[in-house]
Amino acid sequence: MAGIRCWTLFLFNAEIIDKQKLSQGIFRLRLKSGKDFCRAAKPGRFVMLGIDNSLFDPLLRRPFGLCRWHEEWFEVVIKNVGRGSAQLCQLEKGGSVAVHGPLGNGYPQQKTEEGEVSPLFLVAGGMGIASIASYIFSALDSNQSLTETFLFYGAASYAELILLNELTAAVALGLRIKTITDDGSCGRHGLVTQILAAELLNNSQARIFACGPEAMLKSVQKILQTGGNEGYLSLENRMACGFGVCLGCVQTVFAETGAGGVETAKVCTQGPVFPARKVIF
Amino acid sequence: MVDLTVEIAPGLILKNPVLTASGTFGYGREYAPYFDIAKLGGIITKGLSLEPKTGNPGIRITETACGMLNAIGLENIGIEQFLSMELPLLRKLGAVVIVNIFGQEQADYAALAARLDGVEGISALEINISCPNVKAGGIQFGTDPAAAAKLVAAVRQATSLPLITKLSPNVSDIVAIAQAVVEAGSDALSLINTLMGMAIDLDRKKPILGNTTGGLSGPAIKPVALRMVYQVASAVSVPVIGIGGIVNQRDALEFLLAGATAVEIGTASFINPQSAALIVAGIENYLDRQGCKRVVDFIGSLEKNPA
Ligand SMILES: Cc1cc2nc3c(=O)[nH]c(=O)nc-3n(C[C@H](O)[C@H](O)[C@H](O)COP(=O)(O)O)c2cc1C
Ligand code: FES
Repeated sequence: MAGIRCWTLFLFNAEIIDKQKLSQGIFRLRLKSGKDFCRAAKPGRFVMLGIDNSLFDPLLRRPFGLCRWHEEWFEVVIKNVGRGSAQLCQLEKGGSVAVHGPLGNGYPQQKTEEGEVSPLFLVAGGMGIASIASYIFSALDSNQSLTETFLFYGAASYAELILLNELTAAVALGLRIKTITDDGSCGRHGLVTQILAAELLNNSQARIFACGPEAMLKSVQKILQTGGNEGYLSLENRMACGFGVCLGCVQTVFAETGAGGVETAKVCTQGPVFPARKVIF
Repeated sequence: MVDLTVEIAPGLILKNPVLTASGTFGYGREYAPYFDIAKLGGIITKGLSLEPKTGNPGIRITETACGMLNAIGLENIGIEQFLSMELPLLRKLGAVVIVNIFGQEQADYAALAARLDGVEGISALEINISCPNVKAGGIQFGTDPAAAAKLVAAVRQATSLPLITKLSPNVSDIVAIAQAVVEAGSDALSLINTLMGMAIDLDRKKPILGNTTGGLSGPAIKPVALRMVYQVASAVSVPVIGIGGIVNQRDALEFLLAGATAVEIGTASFINPQSAALIVAGIENYLDRQGCKRVVDFIGSLEKNPA
């Protein structure tokens, strides 16, 4: 509790320098930012984005995972699901977005034991790919090896397996990718958690990072409990402020002190990434 | 240079009329990375109770047209942890601290007031008799003038700190409650707390909030807040602090015109953490351009004839 958070925080209006449609109702915005902003970016961290409107409707900013960044820009992926995201999706190149961030804590560092990297399973469901992809892009952009790293990626259909082309570039660094779709239009037919369960059977050392709908995260947590693997879940609770003051985003978790006690944690400042064993859905 | 100082209770002079609304400013430290919180008239803490409180389960916030509903449920760290972990830092940062208190029953309020009496670094208490989100969050005191007066009298007995009573808009006659608590010894009034509301998920046929109902805040409630502040300020002789939907200096100045001696900034701080500081600068700028030398001359200067 003590001390003021020392992350560098930024509040600014960013110009949209590129906009791309990734799928029906899903867009990628590239926003102009300073170098300092990119230095503070980290896989799994997020920004609160808003539209500077004098009518205050929509009112609050919305959280989006940082997907990729490079020196003077960063990218987010936005799915049109409500009033806030709809307005953001309508903005065009040259337009402006109010940015607050980077916020939250990202994924932990890749673990190496006695020089051996333990396998890392990245599990993404639907829009959860935006957060998971940040880990892969960050490795790709710094030319870091991705040996022993596996991406299990599920979406409703092939059309919604966004970013897949760019992620495939990381195969050169050692990344292995398995896809699955609800309708069988790409890869296997089914849920991404089925791949995870099967792969864990012969991999007791693997660590897991997962982001996706709550039902998927619940299922990931159950699978991890059975296998005893260490894992981290990136939660996407509703947020009003994004910096720890409204208490709107809290998640019930097991208390740090152990002994089965429970407490609430702020997803925005204590997460959004939590050890899977701590979260109580 | 405009003189922005205001007196919100006997002897309690603020450097400017901008405060932060309880529950929207955390314990203050969260805003320190964004601006110098000592530059505000004062900060009002999240509502504190004798014991820590966990708040409501389920979805706690949802956005509505030009506003938001919340059902946080007064989650807080409890008074002792606030005093040991948060207050020292606030003092170091130089903030003027007003503590917002609530309890289950009258004795809790009195005990909190007694505990805070004489604690260095606390400038006043704001008594929340108006939270709509918990059954025993004070609302039963906030809707009945006699019960409200009894509660304030008990708190008055327990402390010599300046007392601000925070009123609920969810009543049929807010002026009657205002007069009753002033009579009972409240040095000032703040209003409004959130308006009780509800949001429904049509397709799932369910209430959205875990608590079913919640408190509406933001620009959507400003006209109601302005009307209530105007009516109360016209009826009582103590300072009134205006709250409700203030997002910029123009909103704040409208409340001052209506008779508020100061304002509290709430939901706006979620959208832009620097809102309160920007509003201080904006007020000064506006009054300067109007040739107004002292904010106190502007307060209550509304002309009665409609435009
Ligand atoms: C998330 C949230 C939490 C709040 N918590 C408290 C509280 O603990 N105590 C209190 O007296 N008022 C609380 N309020 C009410 C605000 O202090 C304020 O009266 C109200 O939000 C109206 O102002 P606004 O429209 O500027 O937000 C809360 C409001 C919000 C939005
Ligand atoms: S979003 Fe406000 S506390 Fe987390």
